[in-house]
Amino acid sequence: MSAPIKPGLAADALLALLAPLGGVRDEADRWGLTVRVDRERLRQALTLLRDGADARFDQLLDVCGIDYLSYPDWRDPRFAVSYPLKSTVFRHRLTLKVLVEEDDVAVPSVHDLYASANWAERECWDQVGIVFQGHPNLKRLLNHHEFVGHPLRKDYPCQKRQKLSVNDPMIDQLTAKLIALGYQVLEAPVATAGLPLTTHGPIKETVS
Amino acid sequence: MTYQPVPAAAAVPEVSLGDAFVTTSVDAVVNWARRNSLWPFPFGTACCAIEFMGMVSSHFDVSRFGAELVRFSPRQADLLIIAGTVTYKQAPVLRRIYDQMLEPKWVISAGACATSGGFYDCYCTVPGIDEIIPVDVYIAGCPPRPEAFLEAIVQLQGRIDRESRKERALMGTPA
Amino acid sequence: MRVKKPDGEIVDLMTINIGPSHPATHGTLRVFAALDGETVAAAVGEMGYLHRGFEKMVEQGTYQMVLPFTDRLNYCSSMMNNIGFCKAAERMFGVELPERCVTLRVILLELSRMIDHLVCNGANLVDLGALTNFWYFFNPREQVYTIWERLCGARLTNTVTRIGGMYRDVYPGFEQEVLAVVTVIEDATTEVLGLIERNRIFIDRTRNVGTMDAAGAISAGWTGPCLRASGVDRDLRKDEPYYGYETYDFDTVIGTTGDTYDRVMVRMYEIRESAKIVRQAVARLKPGPLNCADARLSLPSRNQVYHDMEALINSFKLIYEGVRPPPGEMYDAIEAANGELGFLIVSDGGTNPYRIKVRPPCFTQWAAYPDMLTGSMVADVASSLGSINIIAGELDR
Repeated sequence: MSAPIKPGLAADALLALLAPLGGVRDEADRWGLTVRVDRERLRQALTLLRDGADARFDQLLDVCGIDYLSYPDWRDPRFAVSYPLKSTVFRHRLTLKVLVEEDDVAVPSVHDLYASANWAERECWDQVGIVFQGHPNLKRLLNHHEFVGHPLRKDYPCQKRQKLSVNDPMIDQLTAKLIALGYQVLEAPVATAGLPLTTHGPIKETVS
Repeated sequence: MTYQPVPAAAAVPEVSLGDAFVTTSVDAVVNWARRNSLWPFPFGTACCAIEFMGMVSSHFDVSRFGAELVRFSPRQADLLIIAGTVTYKQAPVLRRIYDQMLEPKWVISAGACATSGGFYDCYCTVPGIDEIIPVDVYIAGCPPRPEAFLEAIVQLQGRIDRESRKERALMGTPA
Repeated sequence: MRVKKPDGEIVDLMTINIGPSHPATHGTLRVFAALDGETVAAAVGEMGYLHRGFEKMVEQGTYQMVLPFTDRLNYCSSMMNNIGFCKAAERMFGVELPERCVTLRVILLELSRMIDHLVCNGANLVDLGALTNFWYFFNPREQVYTIWERLCGARLTNTVTRIGGMYRDVYPGFEQEVLAVVTVIEDATTEVLGLIERNRIFIDRTRNVGTMDAAGAISAGWTGPCLRASGVDRDLRKDEPYYGYETYDFDTVIGTTGDTYDRVMVRMYEIRESAKIVRQAVARLKPGPLNCADARLSLPSRNQVYHDMEALINSFKLIYEGVRPPPGEMYDAIEAANGELGFLIVSDGGTNPYRIKVRPPCFTQWAAYPDMLTGSMVADVASSLGSINIIAGELDR
């Protein structure tokens, strides 16, 4: 692990690596290398990139959801999910991009390929509304658990506030974790009702 | 009848003790004790908390004002300093902390975000903590300098000096 | 909570909230743990208590308006966020910065890295009960804040860069003050190391506590000092150098076991390495232009504006509309104090950013943290949490 970083593959070689899986260069990225793949091939592509001896993309930096609703002259599907990748062995970088239709907002989850995908996918679902199939715990991450909607979508008004009355007790997540660790939960605690917060003033809707 | 001076022995016994006694009011003593030993609860969420840490540090030294003993339990603190943005997720937590504090208690809202939401006019930020809890002193700034924090504490001490136990009892809070 | 342990024993676990209001959780992190006596049987984490809508807010204004929001990401080293964003935006424009600007940015980056490590280690040591080091570290920070104040007017949230250059040039005496404060910070670090490096209590509390092995750290997406403490020698300043980092003489600091002790020590020694870089950069600082002369980014001189129609229109558009990167999307990153701080910018060619996604370095650390706690003691929760340097402004955005 302490070896100096090796040069890695050039853009053409990386494209050639992904071409059999239907990988096409995304013209929008004129600075780095972004490759579009179909969501059916996403897991295959990531496995190939992670385990390939010349590729070794062992770090998934982020899962970024993009809503192209108000992008001028956009003809492609409304949503996209970007996966910037990085290698600790080679110097090359790559971003995988999956386009997602508005009426079928689902992408296979890759949390078992990269541990960093777990919470990154949760955030993408929370903010943009992309459903990650097979994710063990697709719950709100940044917004509170009573939030309705996906704020980073272009049709969500920026100043539309939503109050929270009681914080998430998280007992279900904890029992799931214990069960995963081999415990058998005989008696789960009941959430003692926190006093619902009703002391907010009226939410002032400011219109931009 | 001409004025007859009261003989010293018949005067109040304390006179014989000289300057060892000071007469004052209960309010003055109680307020003096409270203002000089404020125990802050730093409810620091964001950048203002770093300036709060600067105020507590030796360079600006809030200890001069008696308020150095930060206590992270609401049961032990009497000054709630909210330093940083409060989001809707954090709001019930803040209310719970405020409710758990015992009287007498005061609240300082430090920074633009706690006072009014700051420049985060969006879906997740509470536009000012006075939507949730009553505030005694507001500090402007993003973040306010440590001197501004100290000025707020001095102003709060001035307010405490003017408090009266009778008023507090009338308002229903314990005196 | 009544459970049957994997070995068959039936126990009552205590479920407890650690945070979001807790001295060690920096106010905005929550761990919900099930305790078997003093041992954490399992823990789950929650975040979002400081989610302020950075990504939605920046879509409402121009590219310059993004800069104050970036300040408040990692507020312990605001300049690094400024420079990270400006570097990404400048890459979209394809401009080369003048040498003076580049050298000055390196000085500010490394000095910010030093003060970030001072806060992280100071707060971590306070959580362990070692309060003296906090004062020793915060006093030099005040001196750095004085320099920042003289440079740009603000102590903490600096907004010191602009896309294409800097807000303003340095004041006379800047170089001497920077060199003086670097010496002060190094002395403070030596004093603190003298107090903790061979301290039995500190070692007992941090050795083999919160251990993260290299493979786990890599898969979890860790970068920065936490990854280096686990033994993986990856640093963007060495691997993908920018701003001339390949010409500076410094080492990366690598740990061995990836426990809390290593993470604290990696940061301490990184302060010394950054001091080396600052000294070299100050020696290289030569007079010259500060902002790049590209018409898309820099205002033309007043003389030109008064006499030349093109310059007048250029000035008007830049002030009225702001800068407009070419349409496209791009990911770019710098080595911030916590790790790789990345910006994925989607531009539609207009005045407002279409989408900016921040890749916060401490997000991956916090995501992996509750699993690190399984089997540790409750007291270790505080010490290992301080060592992974979670800054909520960056984590929740």
